[in-house]
Amino acid sequence: MTFLTDLKARFAREHVTLALDDIQALILRSRPEPYVGVHAMLHVDEAEGGRALLLRMAEHVPSAAGWTDDRDAWMGVAISFQGLKALGVPESSLASFPLPFQQGMAGRAEQLRDVGGNASEHWDEAFQPGTCHVALTIYARDEAALKVALDQAMGELERSSGVTLVGQHAFGADADAKNPFGFRDSISQPFVAGSGVEPLAGQERSIAAGEFILGENSETGKPVAMPEPPELGRNGSFVVLRKYESKVGAFNDYIRSQAGDEAAEELLGAKMVGRWRSGAPLTLAPERDDPALGADPARNNGFDFSKDPRGLMCPHAAHMRRLNPRDSQLTIMTDVNIHRIIRRSSTFGPKWNRSLSAKDDKGERGIFFIFISARAYDTIEFFQQEWINRGNFIDLAEERDPVVGLQEPPGTFTMPQVPVRKRVDGVGTFNQLRGGEYLFMPSLGALRWIGGAGWR
Amino acid sequence: MTDHHPDPRLADETMLEKIRRQVDAVAHDAPHLAKIALEAMVRKHNPDLKGTASSAGRVGKQSGNVSELTAIAPLKAGGAERLRRIFDLTNGNMDGAQRVSTLHDMRFVFFDDDTRILFATTYDGDWDSYINDFATKIPELMDLLFANIEGWPGIDSPAVKDFIAGHQIDAAGWFVANPQVTVVDTRRFQRMDKALAIFLDQMAANPPQHEATRQALDTLSQALAQPEGVDY
Repeated sequence: MTFLTDLKARFAREHVTLALDDIQALILRSRPEPYVGVHAMLHVDEAEGGRALLLRMAEHVPSAAGWTDDRDAWMGVAISFQGLKALGVPESSLASFPLPFQQGMAGRAEQLRDVGGNASEHWDEAFQPGTCHVALTIYARDEAALKVALDQAMGELERSSGVTLVGQHAFGADADAKNPFGFRDSISQPFVAGSGVEPLAGQERSIAAGEFILGENSETGKPVAMPEPPELGRNGSFVVLRKYESKVGAFNDYIRSQAGDEAAEELLGAKMVGRWRSGAPLTLAPERDDPALGADPARNNGFDFSKDPRGLMCPHAAHMRRLNPRDSQLTIMTDVNIHRIIRRSSTFGPKWNRSLSAKDDKGERGIFFIFISARAYDTIEFFQQEWINRGNFIDLAEERDPVVGLQEPPGTFTMPQVPVRKRVDGVGTFNQLRGGEYLFMPSLGALRWIGGAGWR
Repeated sequence: MTDHHPDPRLADETMLEKIRRQVDAVAHDAPHLAKIALEAMVRKHNPDLKGTASSAGRVGKQSGNVSELTAIAPLKAGGAERLRRIFDLTNGNMDGAQRVSTLHDMRFVFFDDDTRILFATTYDGDWDSYINDFATKIPELMDLLFANIEGWPGIDSPAVKDFIAGHQIDAAGWFVANPQVTVVDTRRFQRMDKALAIFLDQMAANPPQHEATRQALDTLSQALAQPEGVDY
């Protein structure tokens, strides 16, 4: 049973409190397994043409009504601050967006710690500041379904005027849903209260809808900041998009250099990630991989860290534990429920293979780290500052995330063990930032409001 | 992380040279002794210059891992009195603030006949990293402390960050003794100190026989046994 069919079986209409028919399907709907898709980045040269295109594109964006149903392909549309400006959205609305969103991802380099090799001067053309105005994402269950949806979208683009395609990127993974490093990813997805699917016993509790859907009550009991007017903000969300080039050869070389045999390599890799390649979490499979567990959506996320307070099974510094500490004791007062994200990452490039080394890595593998949250801009800055590029919150001072951290020598990773912890040095920056942007994912009503210049 | 330079020593050198030039300029007409004193101050600070030039995100200064926030705001009528009562009741010891564990200190000063407040704090990291967490974890304490300030929108208001930033004033000068050490680090060092003393007691009572272990223990003792002056 895949993640999507599992959710389909559990969807109950009587639990729905959200305006599903106004919310873009992509927000609630996970990637299919296997998945293929395309990200396309558009630049709006002329407001009227851009709005006309948006209006027609909106017809091809499915709503979240029936979000657990079978579907061949689906498209999502999101817009950057510069994009909203280029589309002619009035100043009063623009000024109502949160400051980080207004400044854009490149403008937030200091808060995001996007410096050195991750600085925007090294980014792709499509993500140079002010370039990516509208981002289209299409997910499909196979190449044939993708072609139909893509032809439709590109047909609309060809019929439009004043809009330029500035970047297009295909992605996909087979039924294992493995990331460039050969690990199944996007496993931990929050349950959105009021969406119609409730967590099972042993799974994490659902999160207030306002953490993901603008206008709904968040974990504070009130909605988070929402752009004005409500026709624009309500039922929308924010998206963080970060394109990484994955240094798979360097990662392989590193674990090879630290391990004596293949089993030791697998263990070190799992300790760094927090899960085995199959997706099986270390807390449920501390000794060796358990592919049946990793593939079972009813079990592969059904755990907490109550039996592992010392990190003997899953190190505190493991990527997965850092970015979702669950019930871990943290050094700093933190509300883990306001830092949850809906993961929509997409892997590109050839499949992982063990023998790949840095010297023959052509830099063709990578991942679009994409997530959705009503406070996505705050969440990513918090992640980058506190949970990724620091160790203070887990009593590890300057230690950084061994998978997505921007590393500096000595590049330490700490693994608690009995009787004494083990430390390895030399962890490198295994994911190099190649671009990114803060995006607003409007409701279907808001897409039509912008497209039809509803402010007039 | 706040170190934006690939090699902090290089950054320090250039910064030191820059400061030297400024010292030369300032001290042009000053007595020779004052110039030496100024230079000595700069030289002694060198190892801790790491990160002193950066900002704490939006406003405020940052030195290493530590940041400062200074804000001046008008108080509501009777606000100073209400706050004094809270401080007297708690004896300045605010539970909740303790649990935050990024706060080194907080200072509340009333002035202009109790019509205005100066709030100053030293904390770890960027100024707004944990504001969202305070809003769900200790909203009552935050609102209790700040509701007496004119225009306070409430800690759970989306406008709260803009409100705080609007009242903040960058410190012109600011000195941090331990810019690399967070509150969390300090607590760990205290725990380590006690645990290490117990461990050393056990080793003294029962010295290890294994040569490599003896050597490791000797290296540890050398690092701990000699008093060292605090060098800024």
